[in-house]
Amino acid sequence: MKEIFRKGEYENERQGGNRESKSGRYGSKQTYTSQIDKKTSSPLTWYVFLIPSFLGILLFMIYPIFESLRLSFYQSNGTIEHFIGLANFKTVLTSGPFWNAVGNTFFIGIFQIVITIPLGFIFASLINSTPRGKNFFKVIYFLPNVTSIVAAAMIFAFVLHPEMGIVNYLLDILGLPTPGWLSDPSTSKWAVILLAVWHWIGFVIIICLANLQAISPEMYEAARIDGASGIQQWLFITVPNMGGTFAFLLITGWIGALQRFNEVYVLGGPNGSPARSIQTMGAFIYERGFTGFEFGIASAATYIMFMIILVFTFINLKLSNMKI
Amino acid sequence: MEKKCFSKVNVLLAAVLVVAGLLAGCSKSGAGSGEADGEWAGQKINVQLIGDFAMETKTDPVTGESVKGVEVLKEEFEKQHPGATVEFTLMPWEGYTEKTQAMITSGDADVYQMPGTVDFAPQGVLEPLQPYIDKDEEFDLDIFIENQVEGWKALGPDDDELQIYGLPFLGDARFIAYDKQLFDEWGVDYLSDHPTMEEVAEKAKQMTGKNPVTGEQNYGIWFRGDWSSAFTLIDLAEGQNGSWGSGFAWDEIEFNFDSPEMVNGLNWLLDMQELAPEGLVSNQGNEKWLTEENNIAIMLNQGPGDTVKPAYAQGLEDRIGIAQEFKNDEGVGGLFAGSPITIAKDSENKDLAWEWVKFATSEFTQQYIFEEMGLVPSIKSAMEWDSVKDTELMQPVFEAMSSPWTPRYPWGSAQPRFILTSEVEAALTGERSAEEALNKAQKESTEWLENR
Repeated sequence: MKEIFRKGEYENERQGGNRESKSGRYGSKQTYTSQIDKKTSSPLTWYVFLIPSFLGILLFMIYPIFESLRLSFYQSNGTIEHFIGLANFKTVLTSGPFWNAVGNTFFIGIFQIVITIPLGFIFASLINSTPRGKNFFKVIYFLPNVTSIVAAAMIFAFVLHPEMGIVNYLLDILGLPTPGWLSDPSTSKWAVILLAVWHWIGFVIIICLANLQAISPEMYEAARIDGASGIQQWLFITVPNMGGTFAFLLITGWIGALQRFNEVYVLGGPNGSPARSIQTMGAFIYERGFTGFEFGIASAATYIMFMIILVFTFINLKLSNMKI
Repeated sequence: MEKKCFSKVNVLLAAVLVVAGLLAGCSKSGAGSGEADGEWAGQKINVQLIGDFAMETKTDPVTGESVKGVEVLKEEFEKQHPGATVEFTLMPWEGYTEKTQAMITSGDADVYQMPGTVDFAPQGVLEPLQPYIDKDEEFDLDIFIENQVEGWKALGPDDDELQIYGLPFLGDARFIAYDKQLFDEWGVDYLSDHPTMEEVAEKAKQMTGKNPVTGEQNYGIWFRGDWSSAFTLIDLAEGQNGSWGSGFAWDEIEFNFDSPEMVNGLNWLLDMQELAPEGLVSNQGNEKWLTEENNIAIMLNQGPGDTVKPAYAQGLEDRIGIAQEFKNDEGVGGLFAGSPITIAKDSENKDLAWEWVKFATSEFTQQYIFEEMGLVPSIKSAMEWDSVKDTELMQPVFEAMSSPWTPRYPWGSAQPRFILTSEVEAALTGERSAEEALNKAQKESTEWLENR
């Protein structure tokens, strides 16, 4: 930091010097640098620049966080409030639909992560070893990730239509059973998992590719000289060097999975139809807050969800040895 | 010297911007200023409207026709109320509850189109309208179609009896729609105007299978098995002289979700599911309805917005028939729906807001919402308009509007609705029997009432 400042000072001196030599308008080099110093050395200047973003954070993040905490201790219909202590937390923690939503969230999240990270890594490895068309494959696989999840969910509802959907059409051609997908609680979660994998895999591939391209080619060259096969190189050089990326994907994937709302709302509404089979924690909060006007309960559920994400992220960090 | 000049320019520029900002802020916008003098001089209201309203002329995505914007209403209202200014906040139906909550909490508008009056009135954010009705000799509640005013009555935070917080602005109704062409091809008589559950079941059964004329697979019936399934079931109970329960205030409500009529109704839906395409509980299977290739004979629990306008737009008006939902012995049954118009408690210009409420329910505005927007009017005189008479399908819609269950189900957007819906879905997907599902719905809804 000190060095940078000195460099800046030097730059100022140099600029001052240049100006002086070109125009001769400043009395001396020393006078000009002291003027600049006076302006930049006041810490208040920098705080002024920080005010807009700080106000944004204060209004749209800090205030709602504390307001939501306050609301969780009240019975509130939006305007009329009564303090009821921890009753909202008790209601949420003893609510069957809430724990059903927690179960759904984890089920969908676990399978999304377990399927997408290994599959994305394999695809990334294949793309990385392709001699031609790398960029083409990167674009193709990344496209779903830049698609709006709301639009994608609507399209998936058609793709998984029990009678007219292309998936069941293909299954039927292959002589396989055709599930009801979104109209059957036993398959609806798998419909969401399919969508989630399709949407996230492009991101996983790009991140894995970035890491793959950073692994030193000398390591592979040395392994080849030692007679290692392609699979051995992948297993003993590539995979161990991907640790940091896997940890990053695991943590960000879990946080996203635990906050899942948009796609399940489009596919199953706030109560996660059919029969609450795809209602996630986010959807539970929405249902109680914005369709039932139970803002206290929704706030309490939000804080419980926050605690679950916090604990789970902590466990993930420990397991993955990731330093933040 | 150069630096000083630069800073002078900066200061000058900033001063110009500030002055321009002040002038812009203090000036009146050309279109919305109204007249400086007049009975309502200086008074301004903001009106919130939900749906496909637009400020300016636009093209209707369903009919492809040109539709005038609400600027027409603004112009007429400001002409009738010299000096007044009306502004609009237009929002889509998506997420309207939370948007309305945010607006009303921050005091954004004076007048709200508010289907959730039952939920907002207890918050104490709405103005009771009875004093305005009593005071205004020009205004008469008899202008509205039967039951429309009753349906929107609600309880404020301090009310013991139902009060008027909103007046009917947009009408709506639920009915049974059917495809006359499929009935003809199967040689089945059209549904009677007031069909029973037995009649619907029998005719649906006759029309399920390979169509004798086209050879296509036909389905006798379709109903939405998810979002609105609770209301479909309640109507079935009402058709057997049952009800959802009783009471209006939360501490007085008692549910009848496990009554024999409800169990019978849910078992009837399970039977009907066998005559329907797959995908009822995911709102699928009805994709061909209101197309030339339609394959469904009878559609339960339909509304005018999804039926009348699209039918005329597709040129299928002669093919579609409308029968009434299941009614009890008193001729009452089905969901009460629509949109009332309300005044915010914190409005600073309540008298002008009341003038807007009257204007919104006047012939001028009601004719605009029907003829331009294709929405359903809420006033009796609409039935005499040529435009309505030319739209034959509107006649049964008006009849349906006059006989729903009133007041609106107080739990219609609260937790019991979602509990009941989930249990109907559980029965339709074979997770539980009808009896088990409704016992669970009754138990969970009652517990929710006790703990709230």
